[in-house]
Amino acid sequence: MFKEFAKGLSITLKHLLPGNKTTVDYPKQRLEIAPRFRGLHRLVPAQNREKCVACYLCPTVCPAKCITVESAENSKGEKYPKVYEIDLLRCIFCGFCVEACPVEAIEMTGAYELANYKREDFNFNKERLLKN
Amino acid sequence: MVNLTIDGKQVTVSKTATIYEAACEAGVHIPVLCYAKKLMPYGACRVCLVEVEQMKGRLIPACTTPVTEGMVVTSTSDEIVKVRKTVLEFLLVNHVVDCPVCDKGGECDLQDLTYEYEVVSNRFEGEKFDLPTDEVNPLIERNMNRCVLCGKCARVCDEIVGYGSYSFINRGFETKIATAFDRGLNCEFCGQCVSMCPVGAILPRPFKFKARPWQLKEIDSVCGYCGNGCTVTLGTKDNKVETIRFNDKTGVNDGNLCVRGRFGYSFINSEDRLTKPLIRENGSLVETSWDKALARVADGLKQSGSETGIVTGARLTNEELFLLRNVAKALGSENIDHSGGECYKGLTEGLQQTLGLQASTATFPQVENCDAILSIRSDFYETHPVFGMVVNQAVRRNDAKLTVIADKRGKFTKLPEAKTLLHKPGLEVNLINAMCRVLLDEGLAKTERLSGVDELKAALADYAPETVAETTGVSVDAIRTAARELAAAENAAILLAYGLPYTAASKELGIAAANLSLLTGIAGRTGSGLYVCGEKNNSQGAIDLAVMPGATGLGAQQMLSAAAQGQLKALYVVGEDMVSSYPDRKAVELALDKVPFLVVQDLFLSPTAQMADVVLPAASFAEKDGTFTNAERRIQRVRAAVPSPGDARTDFNILSDVLSAFGAQAPATAAEAFAQLTADTAAYQGISLDMLGAQGYVWGTDILTPITRNLVAVAGSKPLDAAHQLLVGSALYHSGTMSTHAKGPMAVVSEPYIEFGREDAKALNVAEGDLVKLSADGEIIEAKAKVDNRLPQGVLFAPYHFSALGLNKIYRGQPAIAVQVGK
Repeated sequence: MFKEFAKGLSITLKHLLPGNKTTVDYPKQRLEIAPRFRGLHRLVPAQNREKCVACYLCPTVCPAKCITVESAENSKGEKYPKVYEIDLLRCIFCGFCVEACPVEAIEMTGAYELANYKREDFNFNKERLLKN
Repeated sequence: MVNLTIDGKQVTVSKTATIYEAACEAGVHIPVLCYAKKLMPYGACRVCLVEVEQMKGRLIPACTTPVTEGMVVTSTSDEIVKVRKTVLEFLLVNHVVDCPVCDKGGECDLQDLTYEYEVVSNRFEGEKFDLPTDEVNPLIERNMNRCVLCGKCARVCDEIVGYGSYSFINRGFETKIATAFDRGLNCEFCGQCVSMCPVGAILPRPFKFKARPWQLKEIDSVCGYCGNGCTVTLGTKDNKVETIRFNDKTGVNDGNLCVRGRFGYSFINSEDRLTKPLIRENGSLVETSWDKALARVADGLKQSGSETGIVTGARLTNEELFLLRNVAKALGSENIDHSGGECYKGLTEGLQQTLGLQASTATFPQVENCDAILSIRSDFYETHPVFGMVVNQAVRRNDAKLTVIADKRGKFTKLPEAKTLLHKPGLEVNLINAMCRVLLDEGLAKTERLSGVDELKAALADYAPETVAETTGVSVDAIRTAARELAAAENAAILLAYGLPYTAASKELGIAAANLSLLTGIAGRTGSGLYVCGEKNNSQGAIDLAVMPGATGLGAQQMLSAAAQGQLKALYVVGEDMVSSYPDRKAVELALDKVPFLVVQDLFLSPTAQMADVVLPAASFAEKDGTFTNAERRIQRVRAAVPSPGDARTDFNILSDVLSAFGAQAPATAAEAFAQLTADTAAYQGISLDMLGAQGYVWGTDILTPITRNLVAVAGSKPLDAAHQLLVGSALYHSGTMSTHAKGPMAVVSEPYIEFGREDAKALNVAEGDLVKLSADGEIIEAKAKVDNRLPQGVLFAPYHFSALGLNKIYRGQPAIAVQVGK
């Protein structure tokens, strides 16, 4: 029995040796984020406008119903999102919106530091999403 | 009947059915793109190909192949799927895949089929269409890059509407759907093509980018414009009516609508709607609360009591009209009337005297199978366009002989083989009398069971076809042929529309039409009918519910003259803009000015409402529950789709409160009111709300048998002796004054006009768009000229919908107005 006990403890002790740390010293130190990490959304800009064509697929697929889109016609007769808002407090970061988008107009970035002081600040409108 | 097997299922269908229809019957799904129930089979898309045991070796299009006895059909096999997939691939070679921005996305037949058949790649390559799109048209947007050439738009415009705006032009790969000379659309704008297009090639422009189909809530209701009573399905999003959805499952209009029904909904969302009650203080109308406004109304009406007049438009629901009648009862007043008072006398008094009825004797769908149709006034198409489409189908599909008694040409007179009895204005009765005379003289009249034959014969002495031909300007032969055709037809129909611009000789015309229907045997015969159709959506309901003056009561016109003489203490006007639409504006204004207390209940601050002491904001048809009765006696459900704007309330709620103020018991809900009104109305006895199914319920069964068969002699009139005569009537794009608040109709006809025939325009040196003045009796009206080839020489026309024109300053109910034309 003692043998097994020593064996087990040796694994624990091994982990105490330098170079075996699993946590990082956040915020001084930050983890490298995987390319497929699902962080804060970003609307992709195109020339003079957003890439989004307001097709309503993302609000339709969104399981948390956190996306609000209102389409309209711009001066060129194109369909564009007059309103595009994501309520981050409701978002579950599932990435379905990205998957549904037919024109790759929405992406998810690596940004995960999303804390804020006011409720309103969690409401990301089109301008904020385009800046990300 | 024919028996066949589809995918192992036995099915028995009529021998005229196609394989596709049999499959629908058997519950077998066969995909289609170019098929539509109401159109003739066409076979353009080749998506519906199936295998038939007896016709091995090739695939058979299901939508065009008639069934035969013992047919064994297979609807899906590996080969069929492969072929269908290939067809879709071919279509997708040129079809631009802009589903994300196409408003059809989500209900597109091509999109659905592509998904169903998993067409994820294309073996063929080709250029995508890059055709110019029509995004200028305010109502119908065309993007032919999305077209799949199914031809439905061209076919519906030709077969149903009878306009023929579209056809295929060019050949081969270049083939496309276009208008004549590939120019912009200039049509009736009924939007039937929009409703038929299986893809996003033809779309409703007002709905552009407004919502996705799956976001819309659909509410089945009834159109609030004309007496046709088309069922409409309102598509709403965020409590706003965004569009009218295609629906051919309810009602009898097969999903057909006119420009008003399809594009005229926007008055519901109009910015000009009244949202707060208004009350007159120190001479001007100011906003107030409901409590104050209702208290003032109750006070005022209590004081006037039996000396109150109540006038309503026939746009209210049956339930509301019932409450309104109860208000009159509570006041002890018999002065209650609707729409004009004079204009529907043909129906209420004319038909009552002759047939003992106050309604049309048959239903609309029967007209499709008629052999002969007589339309009195070419304007029938303008007032009841969708019924007009049924007439068109009868003419085109069943070779019905159409005769139009008309003072001007119109849509009906242009239909194939249509005979037009083009007469001088105001002589309709003379012509009908002459036709009756022909029937009697030639022994064609079915006089058994009729009373008053001899009297009529004597009275018609002056109406020999030759004499009438001379007075009216119609040829003798034409009168004779028209009468003979009508008498010879197995199924025949006589159509007559009435409304505010047609008040002249209303009763005489109703009687004359009824005489003709009796002599030809049309009234009460199965398959035939006399259709006397009201202009407003619930004109028939108002008549059924006896919203008419009681024995000692005053009619609308009498109320106005009584008010002008200071004999009426209060007037309660519900849903009617009397100043704008009633004949003789000066008399109306004088009456409304003189009456001590005027309450107006309406959607908009109309010229009538501006004169009121209290204005109550009411609700549109899209905001209330209830029933409408259309001109063929069909009672249909109206359902609330959106809340009223601001503090506006339904007429039902307002009238309930008025009733409570008098201590009378008001029914709590529309359903309760319906139960009470059916018990109270003889014709509606035993009808319950559950009986109003998808097709509504026709009271008195499809064929209404005349109660009496009296022929009544009526005198015609004399032609007006004037170089220029103005006719007043309805324009196709508008209905009453309500449609002038809707963007759709206003996009087509945005301002009043005076129509000239080509010859007159040339002689008077008037060009399209010129400002012209018409003077009559010292009054002058002014509007832009419209030049067309509809009008005979010396005849002008002006629509009555626009208040700004002041047409009723010179229109006092005459059949035609003698006018001086100036610039």
